Parts: sequence; C-alpha cells; structure tokens
Amino acid sequence: MIEARSVVVTGIGAVTPIGSGRQAFWEALLAGRSGIGPVTSFDTSRYRVHHGAEVRDFSAAEHIEVLDPENLGRASQMAIAAARMALEDAELEVTADNCGRVGVAMGTTSGEPCEIEHFDDCWVAEELARVGPRFMSLYPCHVIAGHVAGELGCEGPNLMIPAACAAGNYAFATALDLVRAGRADVVVAGGADCFSRITYTGFARLGAIAPECCQPFDKNRRGMIPGEGAAVMVFESRERAEARGASIYAEIVGYGLSCDAHHMTAAHPEGDGASRAMAQALATSGLEAEEVDYISAHGTGTPTNDRLETLAVKKVFGDHARQVPISSIKSMLGHTMGAASAIEGAVCALAISEGKIPPTIHYRDPDPECDLDVVPNEARDHEVEVAMSNAYAFGGNNASVVFRRCPA
Amino acid sequence: MSSCSPTDRRRVAVTGVGVITPLGDTPVLLSAALRSGRTGIAPVELFEPDGMKCRQAFEVRGFNARQYLGDGNLRPLDRSAQLVAAAAHLALGASGWTTERRQQQEVGLVLGTMFGSVHTISAFDRRALTDGPIYAKPMDFANSVINAAAGQTAIWHGLRGVNSTVSGGTTSGLQALAYASDLIRTGKAETVLAGGGEELCFESYYGFYRAGLVAGSHNGHGPLAVPFDARRNGFIPGEGAALLMLEEMSAARRRGASILAEVHGWGMGYDASRGRDGERATGAMRRAICDALEDSDTAAQTIAAVSSSASGSIEGDRNEALGIAAALGREVPVTAVKSMLGEAFGASGALQAVALMQTMVSGVLPGVRGFERADDAIPSAMVSGCNRELDLDHGLVTAVGLDGNTCALVLGNGRNGTCQKTEEA
Repeated sequence: MIEARSVVVTGIGAVTPIGSGRQAFWEALLAGRSGIGPVTSFDTSRYRVHHGAEVRDFSAAEHIEVLDPENLGRASQMAIAAARMALEDAELEVTADNCGRVGVAMGTTSGEPCEIEHFDDCWVAEELARVGPRFMSLYPCHVIAGHVAGELGCEGPNLMIPAACAAGNYAFATALDLVRAGRADVVVAGGADCFSRITYTGFARLGAIAPECCQPFDKNRRGMIPGEGAAVMVFESRERAEARGASIYAEIVGYGLSCDAHHMTAAHPEGDGASRAMAQALATSGLEAEEVDYISAHGTGTPTNDRLETLAVKKVFGDHARQVPISSIKSMLGHTMGAASAIEGAVCALAISEGKIPPTIHYRDPDPECDLDVVPNEARDHEVEVAMSNAYAFGGNNASVVFRRCPA
Repeated sequence: MSSCSPTDRRRVAVTGVGVITPLGDTPVLLSAALRSGRTGIAPVELFEPDGMKCRQAFEVRGFNARQYLGDGNLRPLDRSAQLVAAAAHLALGASGWTTERRQQQEVGLVLGTMFGSVHTISAFDRRALTDGPIYAKPMDFANSVINAAAGQTAIWHGLRGVNSTVSGGTTSGLQALAYASDLIRTGKAETVLAGGGEELCFESYYGFYRAGLVAGSHNGHGPLAVPFDARRNGFIPGEGAALLMLEEMSAARRRGASILAEVHGWGMGYDASRGRDGERATGAMRRAICDALEDSDTAAQTIAAVSSSASGSIEGDRNEALGIAAALGREVPVTAVKSMLGEAFGASGALQAVALMQTMVSGVLPGVRGFERADDAIPSAMVSGCNRELDLDHGLVTAVGLDGNTCALVLGNGRNGTCQKTEEA
C-alpha cells in the first residue's frame, strides 16, 4: 500500500462578524466576543426577530486588487478577502509559472443571494427592465470560486460545492483529494456566504431564529442566529510546504460525507447520517475516537440540532464522548451558513497549532440531553493533537473533517 | 487481484443511465433523435417570455414526474428536483440498483447544477416581499438551497451515501462526473449516481437574455444557435437531467452488471481572465484535455471523437474548438449535441457524455444540426456537420463555461481491458 500524500494547512484567512484576519479573529474567539446584534442589512420591522451576525467593519477595496469590487457580490468580496489573507499568511505567491497548479474549492449555501433579491425587488416593483447584464455575471454561485481564482490568478481545477451549511467542509474534503491525487500542488479552499434576506426570512419562518442570543447546548437555547462571513485556508502537500520552509498549522487527514436521506430541513431523529459521517471521517483518517482531543460542533443552538448532535457524538465516541471537549463558536459568530464549517475548520487548525480551544459562550443551564463538555464560556488551554469539525446541512448533507498536528 | 485489471488502481464503470430530455427519456430515444437531426426547440410554454424578443427554448414538454416516481407526495419537489429524481429513477432501474439492493449498500449522488432552482428561490422571496415574511412558504425555503435537488432525490430514493452538489456553470454536469469518479477511484465510495440537472425558468432565461447571451437577444439578427457556425449569435436555454450510475469496476463485474462504458479520467483548467483573454481561455481547455489524457493514461491519437459543449456562444465555441485542436493536435471529429438539446446548463455535460456513450453503441456520431461553415478562427474540418460512422473505443467529453471553467473527461466503451465475457455471454 502506497502511503497517501500528506496534505497540510499553511495559510488561514477569515472575514467574520467578530473580526477579520487570522490573529484578530482568533483573539476575539478566545475572548468570547459575540458578533450578534440588530440586523442592519435590511429592514426587519415585519419580522418577529431582529438579530443577526453581520460583518460590520469590512471594506472590500482594502483587500481586492485585481478585480473591481463594484462588480462583485458581497460573498465574492468576502471570499476574495479571506483568500488573499490566507495566501499572505502562507507566504505564497501565485505566479505565471505555478498558477496552473493552484486550484480553488469553495462552498456556499446561497451563492450571491443579494443579486436575486435585487432581481425580485425589481420584479415586485414591476421594473424588471432595471435588471441588467450584471445579474448573470454576479449571481450564479460558482462565480465565488471564479472570482477568487480571477483575483489571485489561480488556473488549476476550480470547484464550487454548494452543499449548504456543510459546504466549507465539502470544500476542504475536495482540497484534500485534489492535492492527494496530484491534480493540484496548492488548493485555496473555504466557504463564503453573505447576509441574506432570503435566508433570514426562511429561518424566521421556520421559527429557528433565537431572539437575541445564540446558546448552543444550553437547556434554554432558543435557536440559531443567521450570520455571514468567509474563511479560506491554503492546502498543499507536506513535502512542498517543508521544502519551501512554510509554517504548518495542521494536517488534514480525512473526512466523512453522508446523507440522511430523511428530511430536507430536519436532522435524522437518531443522528444516523451525522454519526456515519463522523465514523467515516475517523476511519479514513486511520484514527480511533479516543485519539480526538477536540470537536468543533455544528452546534447551531436550535433545540433539535444540539440534542441530535450530542446523540450522534455519543454513538461514535462511546465513553470518550464525555471526555472530549466540544464547543460551538456559533455562540459568538452566529451561523455563517456556507462559511460556517470553513471558519470552524480554521478554528480546528488554530486549536492544534495554538494549544487553546474557544468556548461556547452564553452557556448557563446544563441540558441533560446535551451532557458533553461544551467548554462553557471560557477559552481553555488544551493540547490538541487531533480535532474533528462537524457540519450538517439542508438536504441531509453531513460532513465531518479531521485535522491533526503534523508529525515532526 | 483480478487478472483482468491492468493496474491496481480502481476503475470506474458506467452501469446504467437515466435521462430526461426534450428528445426523449431513454438513451436509445435520445440517440435516435440526435442521429436523425431532430431538435427539441419550440416556443417556450413554461412561462410568459415578457419583455423579451426571444421566445424559443428547449423544454421537456409534458414532463410528468408521476410517470416515473409513482404515487408518492410530489409536492415537496420543485421542477428541478422532479427532473433529477425522475432521471435517478431511470438510472437506478437501468443499472439494477433496486430498493432491496440500496438497503444493503449505500448509493451516493453527485449532482451538477448551475442554479439549483432559482425559480423557487425567487418565488419564495417575492412571496415574502408582497405578502409579508410570515407568508413565505417553508417548503420553498427548504428548496432554496442549491443542493435541494440532490437532497430531495436522496430522500425519494433512499440514497444514503455521499451526497454532493457541484456548480461550475455550464461545466457543472461534467465536473460532477469527474468529482464522483474520483470518489470511486480513491475508494471513498463504490456506487455513485452522478450527472446533472437543470430546469428552465423565467428567472434564468431573463438573466441570460439581459446579459445578451441568448441567441438573437441583440444586434437585430434572428436567433441562430448553431454551435461553431460562423453565423452563431448565442445559445438557446434548455433543460433536462442526466444521471450515470458509476460503480467501482470489479464490484460491478462481481454483481454481473452490464458495463456500458468506463470513465478513464479527467482534467480541469481555469481561465483566470474569466473569458476576457481568448488565449488563456483556450489554454485552460487545452490543459484540461491534456490532464484528462494523462490521468487516463490515454494517448491523444486514441481519441476518436469529441462531444463538445459548443452551444452557439460566440466566445465559448471558439475557445473550446481551439483548445481541442491544440490538445489533440489533429482533426478529430467534434460534435455538439446542444444544436439539438439547447444549453441545459448544469445538465449539459452529463447529456454530452450520454450522447457519446450512445455513439459507442450505435457507431454513429451525430452531426451538428444546422452547421454550414465555421468562422475563420475555428478549424472547420474538425466540426462534424453530418452524422459520421465510427468505431469508438475512446472518446472525449469537453465543457467550457461562460466565465472560466473548463473540464474534460475521457470515456471508454468499457470493453478494453475488462472482463467482457460475462457481459457478452
């Protein structure tokens, strides 16, 4: 058996409601800062809920050099910014010589929803003529991956995997496979979603949005908070990274993808697909459950998700389930949709390299149905050799990805 | 190890196909229509083409999902999901993946789509705008995610394996086949339904019309969506779904499945100028093809035909033709089934693959309908204007997107190097 090529993370970029850039984001996470507040993107007066997790300090022009920010949707803008930061962090340059070997894999839930929202505004106002040629060049979701490639000059395989709220993990899995198979030397991968009226309306209509605060695993949790953001990581083979003297955050070792085939918006009542994804992620990583030191939870804060995720973790981890810390950064960032698992994957890589894990904030009352170590309220110093990141999505799409410390 | 296997590498067999197209719902019907030069074009019926002078489309007229999916509750499935679920039904049936077999072993689904359902997304949003957010329909919201058709199809057919959606504009369907074949080759999955699906709707049609991409949408000329032809002035939107049952070769043989074709390998290249620089666009296509050949361990000379994605698009057709010519280095016959199926976006790549598989069976490569002469930039001898008889062992499927994506995939007829005795007996 040929040893599979080792694939590592050498760069991290993030645009989030609690800060942008690896360092600022990580410090805010460890400080337990919340990015949740009243929605400013659109008028919520006709809604019963009014809070969201928006990125407020973002200036596209600061990050975008090649493309015209005016001709990009917001998700593309944030994706490009995160990708630029990740490349800088990796101290990597895309050049005429290597560009054909640099691929892009991105995930999203809604693509560029603001573009179809504008289309709908025009339609409802009976002014469809106001929809111009921009719509088709800005809207289709694959343009996010295209814009990242266009800005950075990446001419290798380019994939958009719109696997809804698990999309970031699907993109990381794709990056691993592309590098392992030798289809690219470097893959810039992550996820992006912007704050969307459609998404907000939908979750509000499902009664899934919490009034003010997101409290994953808490007995009195009242729901999720829609958010926005982007995260991108740079993946390359370990040999390549070492040869160029890059610093390595972590190795991506395996993943599991499964489908509940049960319900579009509700998780399987016994956590079937979620547990199969985790088990498969461990199996493809060649690791035992006992070796996992940290789980980044999907942890949306809805009553059902957190209960079923707990159930699924127990199924896979058995007695070890209560020993392994599991936290949900959605308590701070809200649910950034297609960006969520991309950001959470970055958190796993940072937890490994920094020896710290971020907390689940707003945790007050334990729920007997979520009786895991959720790292309540305070970040923790904790040696992390192996971290697993869980993500679950509409369509019953489940994805777990495993990172570990790159062996010396 | 089987003595039939030339390498230890896992190989990917195609063991069944399901198609929903304007020209029929079986590969045989589709193939017969393509060879006879029938076209699916007609005045659009699904919506009122208000505000547009283009009114033609390639619709799946009279599509009735019940015919395929039976008596269950179809309400949660929008048109996109129904097209895909119907094609899945046909592919599962054709490959012998019965309900019982699916309970014993996981089947995955990798779907290529450009939009998911932009119609459902827009309808959901407009309802909330006009009537208020509390009147928005939860069922429409469930289908507003771009992976909705894949999720709904998995629920309908109990597909519990890998479930993924791939979007790369008009290359989506071919990208999905590539992505799925790697899941099998790397041992992550054994059985995956893969291909693409797209519905026709006002929202996307109007968007393309306003972008000036629909044939006849500007310049005062009538529509002429003839691939590669010098007179072409855009594409004409269509719809459909095509799914191929991909299985690990030895597992497929063990269960006695018919091996209809083999996915040998693929390549993807991206044009970072996103279509603005013709040379880079051509280069991306060339690289995708060269990578596909290398990945397949196939020499360029063995490629006997190309099923291209040319649609009538002014830039795209030229870039694709030049990329093919640059990679294959000679005048290999190239066809373009979009001349008869229209631009079915996410479904197109998979439809092109099915058409090429049928050429392997029939020995006839359908010509490009309506083709008279190529423009000066395109090597005209390579365009297959008329049906051509050929014995096809290896063929290439290519796709060039509207804004940078390219993909190429090598298909074999499933006979080379495989244990054919069981199938031929």
